[in-house]
Amino acid sequence: MNNPDNANLLDPIAISRAESLGLNARFIVEGYMAGEHKSPYRGFAIEFAQHREYTHGDDPRHLDWKVLGRTDRYYIKQYEQETNYVANLLLDGSESMRYGSGKLTKLHYGKMMAACLAYLILHQRDATALGLFDTTVRDYAPRSDNLATIHNLMARLAGFEPKEQTNIAAVLHEMARQIRRKGLVIVISDFFDDEAKVLEGIQHLRFGGNEVVVFHVMDPYELEFPFNGQVEFDGLEGAEKIQTRPAEIRKSYLREVDAFRQRLREGCERNNCHYTLVNTAQPLHEVLSAYLAFRLRTTTR
Amino acid sequence: MSFLNPIMLAGLAAVSVPIIIHLLNRRKFRKVTWAAMRFLQNAIEQNQRRMRIEDMILLALRCLLLALLALALARPAILSDASAVFGQSKVTGVIILDNSMSMGMSDGTGTRFDKARQAAEQALDSMPAGSATAVLLASDVVQAVIPEPTFDLNLARKALREAPLTDRATDIFPALGKAIDTLKDRLALRKEIYLVTDGQATGWRQLTEIQRTLERTKSEIKTHVILVNEHEERNLGVSDLRLASGLSAVGQPLRFEAKVSNYGKEEVRSTRVGLSVNGEASGDEFTIDALPAGATKSVTLFAKLRDEGFHSVAARIAEDRLLADDRRSLAVRAIKEVKVLLVDGEAGSEARDSEVFFLKNALVPVPADAAADYFIKTMSVTPSELAQARLDDFDAVVLANVPDFSDALITAVEGYVRRGGGLMVLPGARVNATFYNEQLFKRLKMLPAEFGEIRGEPDKDDKFATLQEKGYEHPIVEIWNDPGSGKLGSARFFRWFELKPELREKEQKGRGAEENSPSISFTSAPPRIVLNYTDGSPAVMERPWGLGRVIQFSSTADTAWNDLPVRLAWVPLLHRTLGSIVQRQDEGLNIRVGDKFVRRVPAENLDKDATFFPPRQTTVRELRRVELVNGWPTVQFEQTQLAGVYDAKVGVAGAVLKFAAQSDASESSLDELSPAQLATLKNVANVVVWTPNLSLRGMMERGRTGSEFWMPVLLAVLAIAAVETFLGQWFSRSK
Repeated sequence: MNNPDNANLLDPIAISRAESLGLNARFIVEGYMAGEHKSPYRGFAIEFAQHREYTHGDDPRHLDWKVLGRTDRYYIKQYEQETNYVANLLLDGSESMRYGSGKLTKLHYGKMMAACLAYLILHQRDATALGLFDTTVRDYAPRSDNLATIHNLMARLAGFEPKEQTNIAAVLHEMARQIRRKGLVIVISDFFDDEAKVLEGIQHLRFGGNEVVVFHVMDPYELEFPFNGQVEFDGLEGAEKIQTRPAEIRKSYLREVDAFRQRLREGCERNNCHYTLVNTAQPLHEVLSAYLAFRLRTTTR
Repeated sequence: MSFLNPIMLAGLAAVSVPIIIHLLNRRKFRKVTWAAMRFLQNAIEQNQRRMRIEDMILLALRCLLLALLALALARPAILSDASAVFGQSKVTGVIILDNSMSMGMSDGTGTRFDKARQAAEQALDSMPAGSATAVLLASDVVQAVIPEPTFDLNLARKALREAPLTDRATDIFPALGKAIDTLKDRLALRKEIYLVTDGQATGWRQLTEIQRTLERTKSEIKTHVILVNEHEERNLGVSDLRLASGLSAVGQPLRFEAKVSNYGKEEVRSTRVGLSVNGEASGDEFTIDALPAGATKSVTLFAKLRDEGFHSVAARIAEDRLLADDRRSLAVRAIKEVKVLLVDGEAGSEARDSEVFFLKNALVPVPADAAADYFIKTMSVTPSELAQARLDDFDAVVLANVPDFSDALITAVEGYVRRGGGLMVLPGARVNATFYNEQLFKRLKMLPAEFGEIRGEPDKDDKFATLQEKGYEHPIVEIWNDPGSGKLGSARFFRWFELKPELREKEQKGRGAEENSPSISFTSAPPRIVLNYTDGSPAVMERPWGLGRVIQFSSTADTAWNDLPVRLAWVPLLHRTLGSIVQRQDEGLNIRVGDKFVRRVPAENLDKDATFFPPRQTTVRELRRVELVNGWPTVQFEQTQLAGVYDAKVGVAGAVLKFAAQSDASESSLDELSPAQLATLKNVANVVVWTPNLSLRGMMERGRTGSEFWMPVLLAVLAIAAVETFLGQWFSRSK
């Protein structure tokens, strides 16, 4: 954390606020560490879940004897096991992420976000893996629950420079295949790709039982399109230059963007993913704490 | 379609401005690196086509706006029948109203001038609202009542209604020229000249020039010639009246010559010509038995003037349709007494030998007992007695064969002539030619000519020179143009001095006396030849000098060198010569209509007012101030539009003087523009013969269909500007 680049990536306010909220896996994830997370595996853990009528083959160890004694019925006492989870942070490092109307590019914002999330996750002793991708996964830090790996992650984040276009769908499919343990997949991207394919990738991840959180990073200029006069737009991902008077097509553009976000959000919701639009003009801590607060509300314990 | 301000068409180049701005703008793009190209692309794909079309529409509108603005500034105009949409075009016109004497011709109910005013008003009425017109009155001068076109047509109407008829001659050309000058530089679509005249041929003497000028400006200026004449067959006029007697003495029968002309096409019988003095028809009368068509007859009439001073004498005939030429007036100053000082250079022993014997008898051609009552009084002195004589008591001094005289006398004579005295110099054998040449000719420039060599051979009776027999130009001798007045040419000259006029005379022959510098014209007007010998050399010369006049003979006053003194013509010649001396100041009494009346008045009247009473008008009085002109108190009056006698009262004492203005006899002519002339005129102008029933207005309006339409164009510009603004806003709204 002595590296100044790395230091940039961690937003102390974001982290201090987020820490108290904690990053909880929304779904019960399979964990090998008895931590703060619920596990889908019922077992002998601390948290009681429910009673279930005993059926043949159940371990008689789990019989609730008190109930049996009172009612003479065979009930099995089920517990929720708190597990450690693996959070896979996937950061889009394509060229389009390099855009930023202010000082902050989307990529930098994404890096900060990824760094903060990684720190938070590691801090609560969950494991995290980091993937930086464009058309394919360009850099991958395997999962680790060692807090010290944060340095490694940040060095990777800081050192990354975008080169290629996006192909999120392919990356998501690939990740879906790679991830063995069900866990949390956090995708930070502008999703400037075919949203149908992206959604397919997300679906794929969900099929694998992963919880998918989508952070849709957008620059305020991309959301508001506040240009005036005559502007020549130079595409970041090799697109042709476009000369136009943006003020005149603002509505069309905003319609397009809104429709895109709408499709993305609806797709995510169909797949039970959290979709969060991140405006890079918003401070990171606000975004993170808002999301974590939301997560805390919606996560059933 | 034409443009009144075509230079503004250069503004059409401004059409390129929006295009250039458009092209330049294409280079002026803010460069933005952008990630969300996909949405942008989609948005543009949805709008690209529309935006391009909108751009094109706006560009076209802006170009159109500038083009139309340039067009409007160029003041487009259509001169075609098809532009009825825009209504009648405004007219910038000049109305020329002929107010010459012939316009006074009446048809029994009204004069041509009344009709002309009516026609001019109709022309004025035909002008659409917003037109402008100038009003010129044309006679031999152009009187610009409204010199520049005014939009106040009521003012023009008033000017037309109040236009006065004058007795001037006609000359259409200068008025047309002025009208064209007025219109030429005007920026107007429709320029029109309305010339209302009676089409009297004399006014169109310069028809070729008129035609040429109109031809040149035809495309630009439309000329309407509105003729208001109806054909008139008869007109008699007094074409001339003048005093034939040399001296207008009180109580003496004065001979007046009047000419009566028949301008009509038929012979006129029994024309009575009467003479009236001071308005009283008590004078002589004469009846011309038959006056053939086109002929002029001279009538001699006599009248006596009862008292000293100014009188008006008028010759009149029975009134016909043109009243103005039925009487002609003359102003005459009656003289009570003329005193002549005869200086006898060679007295001789007998009266008959005296140098002035013939002079004395000729000047007082009455028996000795009647001489005292005769109006000419003579007194003879010798050169030595001259010094004692009070020159100013005499009207004229005759130097007959006087050798020379002292310097003091020269000064006296100089002053005398300068103050208005008359000097007659008759040479002889005793004359010291050098003295005359050096002192009177070269130094004072008093003598009209230098005495040269003595010509002729007095010994030979068969060798002599005679005076010219015809072609008398000088007023003194002009009566001898009429053979009835006797002969001058019969006199024989055996010896005479060659008269060598000043060289300057030749140079000045072509020019008028007015062109001299005032000081010279005042002290010494150019000399004139009164009489020539048959060989063309001058025999008698005269020169106005100061206020007086000097007359120089080339031969003697007695019969020593010639036999003129014993001829019949001697008496009238002397009398007329004396008359020209005495009436030197009265020359300006009879002027032509329109000329300026100028008269010197006694010094005590300086800065006093002079009141003028024009003829035929009882109410009009004109005031002028006596001013110093060339060192003399002078009264001037230029408003001599009317023929007749003008009375003037000068100063507090109210000394009455009269002068007369006479119209140009040619104005009485009935000659009209011939059909051939009218035909040529029709090539360059619209000739309308006006009758009271004619609707000039409709006629003019039909002719005027073209119009200027910068206004609609400008409105279109405004509309386009509004549309452009609206569309610009509308197009650039966010979509």
